[in-house]
Amino acid sequence: MNRKLASAGAILACAAVAAGCGSSGGGSTGNTVAGVSSNGKTVTPNMAQNAKGNVTWCIGKDTTGAFSQVVKLYNAQGKAHVKLLELPTSADQQHSQLTQREQAKSPECDVLGMDVTWTAEFAAQGWLRDVTPAIQARKSEFIPSTLQTADINNKFWAVPFNTNAGFLYYNKTKVKTPPTTWQQTYQVAKTSGGLGFQGARYEGLTVDFLELLYSNGGSVLSNDGKKATIDSPQAQQVLSFMQQGIKNGAVPKSASTWMEEESRNAFQSGKVALLRNWPYVYALAKQAGVHFGIEPLPKWEGGSAASILGGYNLGISTYSKNPGGALSFINFATAPAAQKKFFIKSSLPAVLTQTYNDAAVKKAQPFAPQLLTAVQQGKSRPVSPVYPQISQAIYNNVYSALWNGTSAKSALSKAQSQINKALQTF
Amino acid sequence: MSAAQATVAARPRRRRSEISERRLAAYLVSPSLIVIALVAAYPICYAIWLSLHQYSLIHPGLSRWVGLDNFRDAITSSAFWSSVKITFIFTAISVTLELVIGLAMALLMHAAFRGRSVLRAVVLVPWAVLTVGTAMMWKTIFDADLGFANQVLQALHLPGGHTVWLGQNGYAMAVMIFADVWKTAPFMALLLLAGLQVIPDDVYEAAKVDGATVWQRFVSITLPLLRPAILVALIFRTLDALRIFDLPFVLTQGSNGTTTLSLYAYQQLTQNRLIGPGSSLAVLTFIIVMAVSFLYIRLVGGNIRALAEDT
Repeated sequence: MNRKLASAGAILACAAVAAGCGSSGGGSTGNTVAGVSSNGKTVTPNMAQNAKGNVTWCIGKDTTGAFSQVVKLYNAQGKAHVKLLELPTSADQQHSQLTQREQAKSPECDVLGMDVTWTAEFAAQGWLRDVTPAIQARKSEFIPSTLQTADINNKFWAVPFNTNAGFLYYNKTKVKTPPTTWQQTYQVAKTSGGLGFQGARYEGLTVDFLELLYSNGGSVLSNDGKKATIDSPQAQQVLSFMQQGIKNGAVPKSASTWMEEESRNAFQSGKVALLRNWPYVYALAKQAGVHFGIEPLPKWEGGSAASILGGYNLGISTYSKNPGGALSFINFATAPAAQKKFFIKSSLPAVLTQTYNDAAVKKAQPFAPQLLTAVQQGKSRPVSPVYPQISQAIYNNVYSALWNGTSAKSALSKAQSQINKALQTF
Repeated sequence: MSAAQATVAARPRRRRSEISERRLAAYLVSPSLIVIALVAAYPICYAIWLSLHQYSLIHPGLSRWVGLDNFRDAITSSAFWSSVKITFIFTAISVTLELVIGLAMALLMHAAFRGRSVLRAVVLVPWAVLTVGTAMMWKTIFDADLGFANQVLQALHLPGGHTVWLGQNGYAMAVMIFADVWKTAPFMALLLLAGLQVIPDDVYEAAKVDGATVWQRFVSITLPLLRPAILVALIFRTLDALRIFDLPFVLTQGSNGTTTLSLYAYQQLTQNRLIGPGSSLAVLTFIIVMAVSFLYIRLVGGNIRALAEDT
């Protein structure tokens, strides 16, 4: 109770200065987000031991049936009883359905399936229980990069459920040796058939731009998360480089309308010989009979490769009446057996290192070793409760620099001021 | 309500029953008034209330009263004015085209010839398809790589066969207007056809006897007598076009100069969860639409009344 009062006081103090309190612990490797502090509701591993009662798992649509299979397996153990509540397929819709429930303090969803970019927002709103002790108990099982988005102010607010990382696909009939740097990639694209990426004005463009930016040593936010740092020489290099690639024909003009599927179609129909896309393309391109290879993403010359991580985290709602049951189910869904099932049946890349070495996984998903490398060197998008605004500032301005003739310099300074404004959001 | 008042006003003689009739009328209309209050008035008032606050994205459950700050931020931002400009350009061009094409279609449907009923049915098909459906269709057709539009242009060796329709300023707006005209010109035609049908034939007969040409008959008889119907159709279409959301949402997600007011408000409200500023945009949209309809009614109100009295 005292802790609750203390944190309520801290929140009020924050509100008074409106700028936020900042970090509680200095020198952390995790993310710092103003306002995120424990609401006194911490979930410890032993709470899962005598799990019983009902648990509702709210997550996006179960398109392959793997979610309900795992729920069934869990329920057969005779502990808590889990019910799967399917949200819409679109991430935007899932987000609004979950936020509506949490705003109404609804206890309906015990386990929340959140895109990795929402975790900071949900934590800042006080909708998540602190699961630090539960993560600490089995931290070494996870691929370290997958824990990044759940790690805020030295606490864990969710458990990684699945991850995702970009690949470079190349058409073997046109490209003999896969390029290893972005400079080479654009060079090869110019001479032998073009490069495709997600160039439309949406989240995908933010991801694709950040992969080059991070690889060149650039950043979006300062370490304390309070200032925008996107207007940097590194970012200007990257953006001018991408503009140049469009100008000299390495990237086709129609990429300005490409999301994941359009760019996949362009690769499969031979419009481009190189493609940046997620692992799901692998099976579909195989089916389409394309002779292709995959590589982890190239790196910027003199930098190191950086794929942006996608995927989902599982959090426990503050308003859940059965946190013990929720944790028990999360442990089950993130244990090796379930992770293997999700990876093989639903192509949801696992968050545990060991799953990638499993023979059955390697057989079903032959790209598993490359994916493990890509995930291990993966970076997360800026961790912030106002991430949607930050991402919009990035993709709107990068888009206008790439396709609407804005100069790289003015696009970045605009992005910088828009992100700074977003960070001041009350 | 006006019907009830008219009945009451028409019988001023019987005082006692007048009171009870008034009361009865009030009772009779009250359910619909309550429904209107719940369904229309409450959300509007709530949106206004929300637009005067800021809801924190950083501190759990906190909100604060900010007065008109959200409105000030909106009208001093270039994003707002650019969306207003885009919305008005879209409305002006698409409604004008719809009027011209719709009028031509209505005249055609009105003419007596074999197969007229088939034509009437066919013309209405685009209007019957959901906007989101038509938007998806045009998005596919105008795809730069695999789309039908470019394939046809290439096959006919016409210029522009490699145009990135939805990925360039100007072109994206053109496709959006095209899709809207394709879909709603039939609706315009339908309203105008109804107007055409109430013009009595003897007026045309008399003009013919006087030796008026087809064009003279159109300009001096059809257009003036059709004016009330045209104005009603214009009001409907203008107010609809000002709220356009589904076409840019599906076609371009607002890129390349297609972020309309409604889409901008949606992005702020749903994607960014900026409830206060987003609501202020919704309220501003509401005010703009109200102002435009007020103007229309001021300008053409007499005509609508005239139309009502004529029929």
